[in-house]
Amino acid sequence: MTTSQNHAATTVTVADITATLTRIVAAELGVPEASISADSNLRTMEGADSVKVLRTVAKIEREYDIELEDADVFEASTVADIARVVHQALETS
Amino acid sequence: MTAPDVPVVSLPWRVLDDYRCFGCSPHNPFGLGLEFAEHPDGIVTRFCLDRGYESYPGVVHGGLLGVVCDEAMGNLIVLRTGLVAFTTGMRMRYLQPILVGDTCTCVASLSSPESDAGLTSTRAEIFNGAGDLAATSSATYRRVPFSTTRDRISLGDEEADRLDRALTNTIPGVQR
Repeated sequence: MTTSQNHAATTVTVADITATLTRIVAAELGVPEASISADSNLRTMEGADSVKVLRTVAKIEREYDIELEDADVFEASTVADIARVVHQALETS
Repeated sequence: MTAPDVPVVSLPWRVLDDYRCFGCSPHNPFGLGLEFAEHPDGIVTRFCLDRGYESYPGVVHGGLLGVVCDEAMGNLIVLRTGLVAFTTGMRMRYLQPILVGDTCTCVASLSSPESDAGLTSTRAEIFNGAGDLAATSSATYRRVPFSTTRDRISLGDEEADRLDRALTNTIPGVQR
């Protein structure tokens, strides 16, 4: 288990979040990070399912010590979508 | 309930002969009887719920998982501060069902520095028997000295004094 990082919104960019998210998704799906891009659709990627998507969301919430709205989580499909939602949550926290 | 494998932390409530906390009392026949142990991230409890706690057939009721998380997070604050902790807000994220009869663990940790308003933010994670993350929770608690909440708790003077001393003597992270 990782320890919460307490990231400050001002120091975390969408690119940072995308990199972190890519690492988490790769570990969750058991695929190389290089096979994942910002446009990768987490709901249709090979090996992905709803549990793995939610587990990814739970891990990113812990990583950045945030709570994402369910509506945002279930509307997001791509890595870029989720990175944007995380960035917005950091800006308002 | 199944106890953790490591030495159990003694909660201050144990000085009361007949406390009935649904989550952690050994005296409540309807309760979960949770026991806690120290964990690198905070405290941990292990539990295995039977069909008496069922929702859909074979699936543990999600509300009970909320009880487990709340209990772990609240008692973590009590153990670390010696203060009484009241839940002010709590959110659950359910990732996959917990099956009846599965032995699971719940780890609670402090997630943010304590605020000046007397609030503490915490997190909890439930893992199923296979070690998969199955549910997460985040919550906020208000820390209150026992003396200021004394009138809201139904205890006689002698028991209240005993509990007050137990809370005062709670040293963070030290088993008693």
